[in-house]
Amino acid sequence: MPYLGSEDVVKELKKALCNPHIQADRLRYRNVIQRVIRHMTQGLDMSCVFMEMVKASATVDIVQKKLVYLYMCTYAPLKPDLALLAINTLCKDCSDPNPMVRGLALRSMCSLRMPGVQEYIQQPVLNGLRDKASYVRRVAVLGCAKMHNLHGDSEVDGALVNELYSLLRDQDPIVVVNCLRSLEEILKHEGGVVINKPIAHHLLNRMSKLNQWGQAEVLNYLLRYQPRSEEELFDILNLLDSFLKSSSPGVVIGATKLFLILAKKFPHVQTDVLVRVKGPLLAACSSESRELCFVALCHVRQILHSLPGHFSSHYKKFFCSYWEPHYIKLQKVEVLCELVNDENVQQVLEELQGYCTDVSVDFAQAAIFAIGGIARTYTDQCVQILTELLGLRQEHITTVVVQTFRDLVWLCPQCTEAVCQALPGCEENIQDSEGKQALIWLLGIHGERIPNAPYVLEDFVENVKSETFPAVKMELLTALLRLFLSRPAECQDMLGRLLYYCIEEEKDMAVRDRGLFYYRLLLLGIDEVKRILCSPKSDPSLRLLEDQPERPVNSWASDFNTLVPVYGKAHWATIFKCQRTEHCGPELPHTASFVPSGHLISEENKERVQELPDTEALMLIPNCQLTAEYFEKTWRSLQVVHQQVLPWQGEIHPDTLQMALQVVNIQTIAISRVGAQPWKAYLSAQDATGCLFLTELLLEPENSKMQISVKQSETRTEILSSFISVLETVIGTIGDMKS
Amino acid sequence: MVPCALLALLRGEVLVNPGAFRLERPSFPLVVSTMIHSLFLINSSGDIFLEKHWKSVVSRSVCDYFFEAQERATEAENVPPVIPTPHHYLLSVYRHKIFFVAVIQTEVPPLFVIEFLHRVVDTFQDYFGVCSEPVIKDNVVVVYEVLEEMLDNGFPLATESNILKELIKPPTILRTVVNTITGSTNVGDQLPTGQLSVVPWRRTGVKYTNNEAYFDVIEEIDAIIDKSGSTITAEIQGVIDACVKLTGMPDLTLSFMNPRLLDDVSFHPCVRFKRWESERTLSFIPPDGNFRLLSYHVSAQNLVAIPVYVKHNISFRDSSSLGRFEITVGPKQTMGKTVEGVIVLSQMHRGVLNMSLTPSQGTHTFDPVTKMLSWDVGKINPQKLPSLKGTMSLQAGASKPDENPTVNLQFKIQQLAISGLKVNRLDMYGEKYKPFKGIKYMTKAGKFQVRT
Repeated sequence: MPYLGSEDVVKELKKALCNPHIQADRLRYRNVIQRVIRHMTQGLDMSCVFMEMVKASATVDIVQKKLVYLYMCTYAPLKPDLALLAINTLCKDCSDPNPMVRGLALRSMCSLRMPGVQEYIQQPVLNGLRDKASYVRRVAVLGCAKMHNLHGDSEVDGALVNELYSLLRDQDPIVVVNCLRSLEEILKHEGGVVINKPIAHHLLNRMSKLNQWGQAEVLNYLLRYQPRSEEELFDILNLLDSFLKSSSPGVVIGATKLFLILAKKFPHVQTDVLVRVKGPLLAACSSESRELCFVALCHVRQILHSLPGHFSSHYKKFFCSYWEPHYIKLQKVEVLCELVNDENVQQVLEELQGYCTDVSVDFAQAAIFAIGGIARTYTDQCVQILTELLGLRQEHITTVVVQTFRDLVWLCPQCTEAVCQALPGCEENIQDSEGKQALIWLLGIHGERIPNAPYVLEDFVENVKSETFPAVKMELLTALLRLFLSRPAECQDMLGRLLYYCIEEEKDMAVRDRGLFYYRLLLLGIDEVKRILCSPKSDPSLRLLEDQPERPVNSWASDFNTLVPVYGKAHWATIFKCQRTEHCGPELPHTASFVPSGHLISEENKERVQELPDTEALMLIPNCQLTAEYFEKTWRSLQVVHQQVLPWQGEIHPDTLQMALQVVNIQTIAISRVGAQPWKAYLSAQDATGCLFLTELLLEPENSKMQISVKQSETRTEILSSFISVLETVIGTIGDMKS
Repeated sequence: MVPCALLALLRGEVLVNPGAFRLERPSFPLVVSTMIHSLFLINSSGDIFLEKHWKSVVSRSVCDYFFEAQERATEAENVPPVIPTPHHYLLSVYRHKIFFVAVIQTEVPPLFVIEFLHRVVDTFQDYFGVCSEPVIKDNVVVVYEVLEEMLDNGFPLATESNILKELIKPPTILRTVVNTITGSTNVGDQLPTGQLSVVPWRRTGVKYTNNEAYFDVIEEIDAIIDKSGSTITAEIQGVIDACVKLTGMPDLTLSFMNPRLLDDVSFHPCVRFKRWESERTLSFIPPDGNFRLLSYHVSAQNLVAIPVYVKHNISFRDSSSLGRFEITVGPKQTMGKTVEGVIVLSQMHRGVLNMSLTPSQGTHTFDPVTKMLSWDVGKINPQKLPSLKGTMSLQAGASKPDENPTVNLQFKIQQLAISGLKVNRLDMYGEKYKPFKGIKYMTKAGKFQVRT
């Protein structure tokens, strides 16, 4: 914190503070103190004048007192021994006839944050709780929480807690809210303040007397209360009704959440309340405050997850205007994409089309992706718009359009023809890695329909030496090999050149390995290559999975009005965990030593794995090819028979894992890409008797754990345990290799 | 963004969509503690010029994450209002070229924090007239005092401006001079009486020699108009702001000629909601001084009148580097009232080098760096419509822009609420004197945008 030149300033101020002439002149004295505070607020280290400032606290001038208190609260933790000198003055002020002075002194004393101060503040705080001025009571109530924190969270003082609970009946509304806040903090290890029936009803009756902040907080506390009967529930909902019309969006959303949680068994009430807050929520979405708009839009998206048609008639409210900040535009585009229906699709697409040429690259790309999303339902219209966009020959547009095309042909094969016709010429306007990969993938997989596909790929092969992205080279290898299968004559020569380059000259190991892999594959003969490489070109059945099913309101109600709709749960989980570890010290070290035996599974000891003593009963048959649909159907119909958690640290390498599993005849059905959170993989295996093993691997990086869930088509425990030990060995080995 | 990880995952040799087997994560405990840990005030060039901590001191370095976001968002307006960091969340509002950044350590209702930050800004503005960096720096001591009273232990306390002003007197030039001479303080030594009143928003014992109640009905039109002049979206956001200076405990009733116009209303806590539900009249004991009585929306269901139109002709020729620019503004549905304070703003395309334009009235400027054209029109005279004509020159070699610029319009119409809302009568009960009552109407452009 020390800034250049701060020493001189401190020296000068120190001299001024000691100067008896200045001390005698009230105004000049106060001015010097103000300068100290001013420097303090700008981040200069002013702790050296602590002694002088303590002296200045003995004054009748209330402003000067305030300033000195402010100073002391900031620096007391740095100079605890000196700060004790100030306690006397503060204690005296706590019994001043002026309630302002009492409150001020009490607040400052509680905020000193230094060890040893507790014993001095206990009595003043207790006196403060019974003070006749509500101003002092407010301070004293919060003081209890601060005092508790100073004690190092050790013990909960039962008498104090009781006193605070009784102060919930105080006539001053802010004292009531402060009691809740204070109790919450004191009792945080026991789950916070308890809201029982009398307290809940008392709070509900006092609601209208509270200010908006109090209302918002009390609504939050009331979430803990569970009404005993249906009658009581509806009485409460009636009482809450007027808060849905509050002028404060915070209160409206808070009340909505309480409604949703209380009425969790009455879906029609939930829907009803969402209909009623539609107005206020839309108002917040066009609020003067950008920040409010943003958060409101996030909540709108949350609601759309459950009620897709909810805002459809108001789609025009989500049209972007030019002067809005980007973060709002991006949210609006997402919302538009979600509320599209038969009636408004035309208008929404026209609007989105306008955004695609926006000056802001991010916004334009988001709009194109949004059109791509809508294309899953309204394919023809959207593909036409996207094709027109290619005509603009703008780099940032072309790359995103090609990426949307790639995603689209996978889900909607009916548009393949149109996409193939649009592709020629795109290569001139694509420079980035993602775009190149998408284009190359498309050319590889649908190359037989694009006349000049080999020639475009040839350009890429020509320039492979100057290609900077390894991912593009990998994609190029796969695509060219695929195209070679359908158009061998045109591709053979350049495939040879590319393989040569990748194996002999390439420095990136992954690319090189991929090259070698394909080379060896080709040695096995063309039929083998076809069998392995020709996966389906599209899978429209996945669209049903891809379209998120409507989620029940109850699945997100508890996240409503928190930061989760804005930033997602995963992130908050990390923060939450960091805090916990900070407080509790490091957790037990995660060891990988648990792994049983460290066989490095490779081609050579494949036999050995199967001959491990405990796997004798289990013979997994190779080449058990399950289709994805069949897998999914079976997975859904079966119960989890075994679940266990293995330690895991760091990233996973799907390729390695997949290969290792293949060795023991476990097929990978689906696997998340690297870095996905949560990372998942679905595996299947079949033994000689026809018993199926379906497995899910779930890796939550923040917990450093890999969760394994196994389902079995026939209940046979002995082979199940063998299967699990095989799986454990493979996963353990891979974990070991990495560390 | 939409390109879901899922699809990337699906394209390889792999097949199933794992999202189909979504697992529920555990929800977090509902413990609510400290709302706002610390507050930083940061200017648009990225200097922290004020900080205040309510619990422990959070190091300034936490703002580095904010600066990163600030750098990434080329313009200050685009800095996202919620920024996650490894240990905190930073929630910010940007007003008067200052970022008010709150540091949050526990799960909080985001709307609550953002509203509170806005309230802090409103309070500063109320105290100092303007809320700007130099003013805050000059009044840093008062700022600290105010923040100290507004939040304790990170929780909002006194936020009503009239109650705050009794705790800490706002600095005025006069008072500063008097203070300097007499050495008196700017802290009220009386405890504000309002805090003990049964009506939490009104203090007891209010006395005025002139009893007055003024109500301003202010409506803003948000609209997007398309190329051909037809309305894409339009809505009216209205507020009724009041300035009530009445002795004692007056009980007011305000009724409208056409209350059904109001679509979606939100009230100041003083308004009796049940009464509105049953009779559509506003009945309330007003706070003392300035406050917002209600805000409302008029939208889709009721056709919104658009008071101005813009005729435009902006075009580039394919071969030449010159383009034509012509804009005319005229009144449309103004119910016979004058449109004034008209300003036309337009962000021109990057390729535009310069513009040579002649306005028929008012003054115009074109900033060749930001490419911003602004034309201060003033009043619209329906007999002689204001227009701005001329040419624009493109940068040598620049391609013809794909789309035309958007025009942003500002205007004001006095004595008119464009929705047609009218106050019927205002009655006072509970006190004997006769107050002076006044009602004013005004219509303004909100986000009023014309595409060309």
